[in-house]
Amino acid sequence: MSDIILGVESTAHTAGVGIITSEGKILSNQRSVYIPDEGEGIHPREAANHHVEKFPELFKNAFEEASLSPKEITLVSYARGPGLGPCLRTGATAARAFAYTHKIPILGVNHCVAHLEIGLLEGATDPVLLYLSGANTQVIAYAEGRYRVFGETIDIGIGNGLDKFAREAGMGFPGGPKLEKIAEGDKLIDLPYSVKGMDLAFSGLMTAAKQKLDSGHSLSSVAYSVQETAFAMSCEVAERALAHTGKTELVLGGGVACNSRLREMAMIMTKERGVNCFVPERSLCVDNGVMIGWLGYQMMSANYQLAEEDNMVNQKYRTDMVEVTWR
Amino acid sequence: MKFRGAEAIVETIDWQGITAISKVRNKRGYRHLSLEKRLVTERLRSESRIMERLLSQGISVPAIYSVNPVENSIIMEFIDGQTLERALRTDVFNSHLEDLAYLLSKIHSLGVIHGDPTTSNFLVKDQLYAIDFGLASMSDDPEGRASDLRVFLESLDSHHSEINGREIFLDAYSKWKDSKAVLEALNVLELRGRYNLMRG
Repeated sequence: MSDIILGVESTAHTAGVGIITSEGKILSNQRSVYIPDEGEGIHPREAANHHVEKFPELFKNAFEEASLSPKEITLVSYARGPGLGPCLRTGATAARAFAYTHKIPILGVNHCVAHLEIGLLEGATDPVLLYLSGANTQVIAYAEGRYRVFGETIDIGIGNGLDKFAREAGMGFPGGPKLEKIAEGDKLIDLPYSVKGMDLAFSGLMTAAKQKLDSGHSLSSVAYSVQETAFAMSCEVAERALAHTGKTELVLGGGVACNSRLREMAMIMTKERGVNCFVPERSLCVDNGVMIGWLGYQMMSANYQLAEEDNMVNQKYRTDMVEVTWR
Repeated sequence: MKFRGAEAIVETIDWQGITAISKVRNKRGYRHLSLEKRLVTERLRSESRIMERLLSQGISVPAIYSVNPVENSIIMEFIDGQTLERALRTDVFNSHLEDLAYLLSKIHSLGVIHGDPTTSNFLVKDQLYAIDFGLASMSDDPEGRASDLRVFLESLDSHHSEINGREIFLDAYSKWKDSKAVLEALNVLELRGRYNLMRG
């Protein structure tokens, strides 16, 4: 009999409940995103309040869409971290309440690893993950028993950088997609291109972009140049990781991986390099419960030994802290 | 040998009767054309200048035979050695780490930041050679130097988690008279959150 897994996501803006079968069939992917007040960034407590209010409805909708009763779930999985403490606790509490009520096994998993493993569902076997989201900007690959971070931002996450620039330019949250819509042009404005080895930095780029805007360049041309520069940096470090590890697959993950120009650049890079590129559909790139459920199933089906700490949230749960025993 | 690196094709060629390395920065189609031109020109120029500078100061880096800014190519000495990555898998990894710390501190003392000092960018032959100055820059800033140390330590951690090389390496590096500010900057850099379990 096939397993049916329920995954709960709540690391940052998104409250998500996903249901997926052990064969990888997605039965439901319910999401609700907290939108901060205009001109403001995320407030962890406000976001957590949003999640608390939305979770009952998300659970209900997920079961309706999947045409299942709660008793048919065989495993509950939730995101332990990394993320914002108040937000993490709402998802963990919802998952526990559900699991204990229906006497279903439960475990917490690493959010970043889930972004990578959902790429395996697309057919990748041993990829490099270019993980671009609000807070996280990492190049991750498997080596010697762990998913290791080969490169990452040394200041701010790419998405937070884009959001911040958009906010200062008078656009609301989420800024990244809004910039994508107005980005236009073919002439590139020179902006700092900061790649150090396999690491990147974005804050100088975003500050310079704001200055270009203030000095009279049009918003659409600055947005265009910011995208061209930031995504080229990201693709370069991904290619460096591919060259360094000798791996032949790239997976894109994270909310910024929804950007069409980024996807196009990643496709060109991998094609020129002769490696495969796997791009999960947008609803699986952004934060979602499905990937959390899928990773939980991967771990449990390989007889992962649950420890007490697997049922506690951890704000600082880094990618490379996870001992990968299920591969 | 032919290797498609992240920004150039590196291969061994016959150059006026001797085996040499040719490094050609080929076009990256995903990058905007003017950004591509800017980066390739900047990097070719800075790479050859920095290598010349180190060579003239007696640092063990490949000798430069020819630079061609039209083809974006550099032809340089072929060092027939094994990568530090492989050499660190032998019993004498300590002495390799000490050699590396010495070499890196010499490079830093001449005002050069390597930019990508991973274990694959050093070759062991009669002595330790530093290669690939494609991301190198000129700076005396302790933070730039510390960033070099961090790139190396990260590659050590991701490729050689079985040896505890960090201490041996930092101990040897600290013998350089100007190392104190660098090690302090490294501390700050590593405490800047993402290296200290702050983020996923």
